Amino acid sequence: MITHELIERIEGEAVIDFRSDESGRVEDATIRFLHFRGMEAILEGRSALDALVIAPRVCGICGHSHLIAAAEMLESLYRNSGMEITLSSKAQSIRSITRLSELLQNHLKWLYLIMLQESAKMLGTPLSLSLKALYASSQINRLAALFSGQWPHSSYALPGGVSCDPTQIEVMQALKIVSEVERFLESEVLGTSMKEFESIRTRSDLLSLEGDYGTLVRNVDRLGLLESGQSHGRFLVLGLHPGCERVSMDEKGRRAADAGRVSEDASHVYEGKTYAKNALYEGTFFETGPLARALVSRRKLIQSLHGAGGDSVLTRITARVDEIVYLLRHVRTLLETLDLSEPSFIPPPRIETISAEGYGIVEAPRGSLIHRATLERGQITSYSIITPTQWNLGNGTSAAPGVAQKAMIGAENNDKASFIFRTFDVCSVCTTH
Amino acid sequence: MPSKPAKLQIIWLQGITCNGNTHSFLNDSALGTLLQDVQFLHHPILPSALTLRELVSKLPKSDILIVEGAYEAGFERAGMRMDKLLSALASKTKHIISMGSCASFGGIFKESSPDTISGILFDKTKASGPLRGMREKVITLSGCPAHPEWLSFVINMIRCGKTIKLDEYRRPKELYAFTVHNGCLRNEYFEWKVDSGHFGTKEGCLFYVQGCQGPFTHGSCNKILWNGVSSKTRAGTPCLGCTEPTFPKTELFSTKTYMSIPAEMPLGVPKRSYLALAGAAKSFHIKRLEERLIDDNA
Repeated sequence: MITHELIERIEGEAVIDFRSDESGRVEDATIRFLHFRGMEAILEGRSALDALVIAPRVCGICGHSHLIAAAEMLESLYRNSGMEITLSSKAQSIRSITRLSELLQNHLKWLYLIMLQESAKMLGTPLSLSLKALYASSQINRLAALFSGQWPHSSYALPGGVSCDPTQIEVMQALKIVSEVERFLESEVLGTSMKEFESIRTRSDLLSLEGDYGTLVRNVDRLGLLESGQSHGRFLVLGLHPGCERVSMDEKGRRAADAGRVSEDASHVYEGKTYAKNALYEGTFFETGPLARALVSRRKLIQSLHGAGGDSVLTRITARVDEIVYLLRHVRTLLETLDLSEPSFIPPPRIETISAEGYGIVEAPRGSLIHRATLERGQITSYSIITPTQWNLGNGTSAAPGVAQKAMIGAENNDKASFIFRTFDVCSVCTTH
Repeated sequence: MPSKPAKLQIIWLQGITCNGNTHSFLNDSALGTLLQDVQFLHHPILPSALTLRELVSKLPKSDILIVEGAYEAGFERAGMRMDKLLSALASKTKHIISMGSCASFGGIFKESSPDTISGILFDKTKASGPLRGMREKVITLSGCPAHPEWLSFVINMIRCGKTIKLDEYRRPKELYAFTVHNGCLRNEYFEWKVDSGHFGTKEGCLFYVQGCQGPFTHGSCNKILWNGVSSKTRAGTPCLGCTEPTFPKTELFSTKTYMSIPAEMPLGVPKRSYLALAGAAKSFHIKRLEERLIDDNA
């Protein structure tokens, strides 16, 4: 039996074609993204710095990651053409602060607007909008805007640094917001202190937490989905991220990752059906994003859950929440150690002197994001983007399914499979840029 | 007891978009208050009465239709072509808000297919979009993205039955009569023609070298601050002109010059007047404006 489900309330929309047995159990799932916008073609022919304006518009929720990827790509182009380009550690820290802020607001929106809402709806007890979560995420966006000027769609990172020149006023305002978000996290999300949360090692302790995360875990338990959603158990982190090295992990163990082993497969892309190209590492599917980052950086809670239950829905959901805790603490450290006496921007040679190929990789909310381009005397002659959802939501075959595909196979029905799909934090607009 | 007036019914429809206006709107610090007075029949992220599929099958009446994203006739939402979906929803609503520059003029996404993609009322500067027959219903909130306060202002004006004065692109004058230059913290440097040298300094004006379009871009970015705290120019980024039908221009980080003065003049200023004033201002060399504001801060 083949059925088609329109998946709404993600970033954009997707269709999943399910093949199920007579009881409705999912045997196979094909994920289709229907909207193509041609971002790469828009960039080609333009002056290289225009990428700092166009690229963020790939995505309204993770545009800042696209900005930083484009800026780092431009810096690699300088280096690859033999030009020197340096960044102060202040500029690097400020870029991390704003990029990590974007991850934090993304994860909170996913937790409250998608996971809590959808799980409650499936249990027949729909929730009203969580204004407190939107307030917290807007505060985090305000923190970013203190440096980046605005969120969404800032263009404040340029090859050589950042355009802002903050004073202690901005730093103190930002720290005030961090404190406020920490309080929200402890009293509303976790129902315990950040430290206590990170010291938890067992599923039963997570199930007894009183905050909204605990409610979500109990909802998913009642749906019988905590152990479901297991995929290949292969993980990849290609960008630099707090606590992470660039590493791939699979059944053979942990190895240094190399962007040279990344490939794209467009054989599933066909007009009117899907526009999502698969992203592959060493020719196969790897999961990228918060769960991969948690395992690569050996965060204890997630390692314990993974050891006990594999890459299940429980492990995947908890990895995103655990990342909120971990990154919020890191943002505080970056703010407290920011040395304002360093320059924000060290002017590089004119971009018109650059002809080269290069790429930039950052860890975006959903995983490794790659921007790659070729310049001829400062003009973009080719541009290509690989987004995190292309890693996680690609379509394989029945014999070798993609990451989310494999996680959905065996689900009791379409609704439960669709919920598993959402644990990957689906972004359609990014996937089909 | 008089009954409480019914909540305004709003539909939020997306064309070709990045969702940037959706997320900009979620930053509204008074969202809870707004939601006391309005109800979303459909919104792509917020809990709402109708799913996208139900919206497309029912095509309900509404008080306000908000459109985010560029228009292309054959683009589909839940299997329905946009030409059919937009005209059906637009003909059954009282007010239409074009949210962001893609819905307003075509914006960034028009660049990928200039002949088939446009805004809902305007195609760049020409009023040739699919809703040209309903021009009187449309209010334009251009910007990439539009600010959440701009939207809640328009919704509240409609709710209170007040008249909104509009400019030639049907943008509310109270938001777009200003230029982005108004309220910029670098105004003094503009007055005395002190440029910022390079990016990453709080001092200096970005109009002369860095490509700032603030003096000729309509918008209240430095009046109603972004995320309540900042703006592009306050963070040292040039205004990119994102509220105008010409967005995105090219070479966005450098000022086009003609005979070594900016090719595009501040709004309404004749080149001759500008030159006379600039020559005088430049000759004075105000020491305070040529130094760092806080000397131990690089």
